[in-house]
Amino acid sequence: MKLTLLLTLVVVFASCTGSPQSKQLTLAVVSGVEGEALKQAAADYEKQTGTHVSVAEFPYSNLFEKELIDLKARTAAYDLIMLDDPWFPRFAHEQVLTDLTPFLQKRGKSGPDSDFVETSLALCRHPYKTGSLYALPYVGNSQLFFYRRDLFEKYLMKPPLTWDDVLAAAKTIQEKETTGANGGQVYGYVERAAQGNAAVADFMPIFWAFGGEMFDANGRPTVNSPQGIAALQFMIDLGKYSPPGYASFNADDVGAHLLQGTAAMSINWPAWISSFSDQAKSKVIGKMEFTTLPGAEKSGHAEIGNWLIAIPRDSHNAEAAVDFLLWATSAEQMKRSAQRGNPPTRKSLFQDPELVAKYPAYPAQLRSLESSRPRPRTPYWNEIENAFGIFLSKANSGDLTAEEAMNQANAEIEKILQRAQ
Amino acid sequence: MQKSRRFFSALNKRELLLPALFLAPALAVLLALSIYPLIYSITISLQQETVAGITWGLGNFARLFSDNFFLTALGHTFIYAISALVCEFLLGLGLALLLNNQIRGRGVFRASLLIPMMLPSVVVGVVWRLMLNPNFGSINGTLKQIGINTESLTWTASPKLAMLSVIAVDVWQWTPFVFLVLLAGLQAIPQEPYEAALIDGSSRWQTFWHVTLPLLKPSILIVLLLRTMDLLRVFDQIFILTEGGPGFATETISLYIYRTAFRFFDFGYAAAMSFVLLALTNVISAIYIRLIQAEPN
Repeated sequence: MKLTLLLTLVVVFASCTGSPQSKQLTLAVVSGVEGEALKQAAADYEKQTGTHVSVAEFPYSNLFEKELIDLKARTAAYDLIMLDDPWFPRFAHEQVLTDLTPFLQKRGKSGPDSDFVETSLALCRHPYKTGSLYALPYVGNSQLFFYRRDLFEKYLMKPPLTWDDVLAAAKTIQEKETTGANGGQVYGYVERAAQGNAAVADFMPIFWAFGGEMFDANGRPTVNSPQGIAALQFMIDLGKYSPPGYASFNADDVGAHLLQGTAAMSINWPAWISSFSDQAKSKVIGKMEFTTLPGAEKSGHAEIGNWLIAIPRDSHNAEAAVDFLLWATSAEQMKRSAQRGNPPTRKSLFQDPELVAKYPAYPAQLRSLESSRPRPRTPYWNEIENAFGIFLSKANSGDLTAEEAMNQANAEIEKILQRAQ
Repeated sequence: MQKSRRFFSALNKRELLLPALFLAPALAVLLALSIYPLIYSITISLQQETVAGITWGLGNFARLFSDNFFLTALGHTFIYAISALVCEFLLGLGLALLLNNQIRGRGVFRASLLIPMMLPSVVVGVVWRLMLNPNFGSINGTLKQIGINTESLTWTASPKLAMLSVIAVDVWQWTPFVFLVLLAGLQAIPQEPYEAALIDGSSRWQTFWHVTLPLLKPSILIVLLLRTMDLLRVFDQIFILTEGGPGFATETISLYIYRTAFRFFDFGYAAAMSFVLLALTNVISAIYIRLIQAEPN
């Protein structure tokens, strides 16, 4: 009787594991506008080629862990994965991605298309810019400087070129626009300094403009350099013109203030641009302007934030996956993705007359993207960003001075790097 | 010992087989879903991943003592647990005593008090996050209406008020649970001791202190035990309300474990921290359980 039971179990389990089917791809995408475009592309691809593409969709906060757990366990569950670019060094470091070069050569290409924006393509190589190609860029976000053109014109101010211009303009607007937003105060600027990604993303452009660097040539942290401390002090000073509580703001708080017309300037991502002309959401229709980031001692740089598509090393369908990847990132298909709301990663599309008519900020976006800088390329970025963000947030909420925050952040980053050795 | 040996020898093989067969599925599930992960997490807590490869040892546990984030998060967990526990207990006891009396509308009060407890913590977190929003939230809106200056009342965004805010939300949600258990305990107390106290001429305070409280002690200890275990591992409301911020002001152990495992992908260190939390919870629970058992019958 025992034996029968055991045999039954064996048969049941055996029948659960099906045989792999050819002409089938599985795609892991992020939920939201970026993943939605790829999902729709997958449906188009199925119609055109007959290759069945199934899509697994995950919210942003889960995608990283889902993908990395799966790839490290070598389950081959996905043939293509979407990656936020700061995760890429970790995946490349773990050696879980497919080197694309041999596949491109097989198809008669010496490398990726030269139409891709250099800064986007550089993210897909490990080591950064110079190494082998493990992904292709799909969505080309980089930060922009948002400001209220109407208020700048009202007070006869020029578009801000430096952070000092920004501070002066914030002061003017805050002092004069006390009844601007439905009878309420218009804040000069809106920063976001919630610990983690928010604070770091808002700080990096100021940090770089002031001449700060996260690591020196030997890879040791240098955030507490005089430039770094000056940059943080500037962020705190600018915070005086930011709505109270900004030390816990995320991107959606920044967006809400801009849409309600209660703040005049900020750094934000291109995904927000379309909502400013939405009747239902925006009280500032036609009043916003988008430009590249201001400079200081150094010229201004935006932080880049691209979505990449890569192929796991253990995929059973690498050839078919490469075909899909090249198809989805082709100019023709990426144009459709752009029409669905995602900034492209190809120069030709940023200059495409049809798209520029639909998205007037494209020229500024291309300038911002081409001069953008990536978050430091390290496999330990998530941990470093977390530690750095905590101290930036603490300095902005008044818990620590700029110098204390940077010294403590530097010590924590040092610890993280030492542990990894 | 003698007795059990006789018990087993009395059973023949056939009599053992049937119970074993019935127990097997449950044991298999337990083994697969509890025992195996437990053993696995012990092994990974002893592993440290470096560039050179995996090293075995107590490195993860040693690291706990020099990790400022861990020690601060541990401190926060205790501040949170103790403050919330005291508030919930006092409020819950007060409400239970109040609604144990025959007052008008008692049923309505009792039912409506239970609503917060029924809501998922995530929903509670989202609702309170909106209410506590310094610019658009209803709390500051109301305070403004009655003429209070709300400029410095940024609640979850303020390093000073954030911990207070998350504790207040927990008290709001879980006081009803304490109330419910204590009310059940109060209703189980027979009338006789009260009649005896009345005849002896004891005051209301004396009755409460010498009759109600001792008889309620088992319920009190059970509810404190359950709340302590829950509070030490609090995650969802804080994650929604502040994500541990501003800065690090409301980061508790569970949040830090989550971050270490799923953001930094350091499962070994996360497992080590989990075992420390488990050990602390066990020690505290053991104290409560001993107190419950010490109850003279």
